[in-house]
Amino acid sequence: MAKKIDGYIKLQIPAGAANPSPPVGPALGQKGVNIMEFCKQFNARTSSQQGLIIPVVITVYSDKSFTFITKTPPAAVLLKKAAKVEKGSAEPNKTKVAKVSKAQVEEIAKLKMPDLNAHDIEHAASMIAGTARSMGFTVED
Amino acid sequence: MKTYKEIKIKTEPFDVDLLSGFLWQLDIDGINEFDDYLLVFISENKSVSLEEINLLMEKLVEDKFINSFDIEFQTLEEKNWNEEYEKNVKVVEVTEKIVIKPSFKEYNPKPNQLVITIDPKMSFGTGDHATTKLILSHLEKIVKGNEFVLDVGSGTGILGITAVKLGAAKAICIDNDEWCYLNGNENVKMNELNEKVDVRLCEIKDVEEKDFDLILANINKPILINIVDDLKIKFKKEGTLILSGLLNIDEIDIISLYESKGFVLNDKSQLEEWIALVFKTNS
Repeated sequence: MAKKIDGYIKLQIPAGAANPSPPVGPALGQKGVNIMEFCKQFNARTSSQQGLIIPVVITVYSDKSFTFITKTPPAAVLLKKAAKVEKGSAEPNKTKVAKVSKAQVEEIAKLKMPDLNAHDIEHAASMIAGTARSMGFTVED
Repeated sequence: MKTYKEIKIKTEPFDVDLLSGFLWQLDIDGINEFDDYLLVFISENKSVSLEEINLLMEKLVEDKFINSFDIEFQTLEEKNWNEEYEKNVKVVEVTEKIVIKPSFKEYNPKPNQLVITIDPKMSFGTGDHATTKLILSHLEKIVKGNEFVLDVGSGTGILGITAVKLGAAKAICIDNDEWCYLNGNENVKMNELNEKVDVRLCEIKDVEEKDFDLILANINKPILINIVDDLKIKFKKEGTLILSGLLNIDEIDIISLYESKGFVLNDKSQLEEWIALVFKTNS
């Protein structure tokens, strides 16, 4: 018989760097989940993605056991990685801080497609390009 | 006690990917997502202010990404968030010989069983995780008596404590996390091993002793890659190294690195998707 689901916890944490501090500790702790075991598993599974932010959905069962799936990092995080910059522009309309190619935007759109509310890849790419521009990135052909 | 800023952010419209993407441009620790708001956490040692969050939100309104926002703030004090789980920690019979139990549970040992009392308190190592079980099983075979043991990333201290209970002369348990230092010491005291198990809050580079017979490290792949040279120089001429915290997909990379540094693979084991590797020093 399938285990009864007690609830879901959605977090965003840096890859390979989960620890019992917030947000992990309070979120898992109140559900009675073994925080350290989650950290161990999350860090082992995401260690190859270090430097990225990983959204994770944890399913907690009534016996306090858990499973989790990781999702794609936020678009802005992927854009910074593609442009090789630490931050976006404080004044995106005036100061451009980086460039990304249309191909890079499409690549991010493809990766993000399962997690976006986009009806097709072109729509997803235009959403990603909009995010890039709002960060002070120019999108080039 | 360490404190955190907990900032509740509600926006209209509410787009988690967009909002969190911008928030991660600031030096935050993490985000807890809910249906119509986010909780953002910032530890006290980080410089991100509420004002910066406000400015970011105003900018998102100005750039028409959102129409409006609402921010609530509270300070969160660090505590033992694992308390609820700890109430349900069970007695674990790791092998026929080694039994790990929490202090609040009774256990009647069979003849020749070794019962170790461990209360976890936000530290890793209850005896229930595959990686701990794998190392404990190897320890049972490897410890012959009088070894000098180093446990790197010791968590609750379970590995060092068990090694001494199995007959090792002394163990030094090191961890860079304060919870582990405090908790490790509590567990050492509960097992009445104050004279034989030394828990330290430090990194491996800070350990001056260089004559260990046995080193244990249940951590993870990136750290085990980083500390390979530090581990190598901590051994007596001949010694044994047990690594875990590794997934089966990590096996090839770790073996090839450690062998290139002069370690010789002696044994390995797997439980679920986790592995433990036993190396000998190549003297």
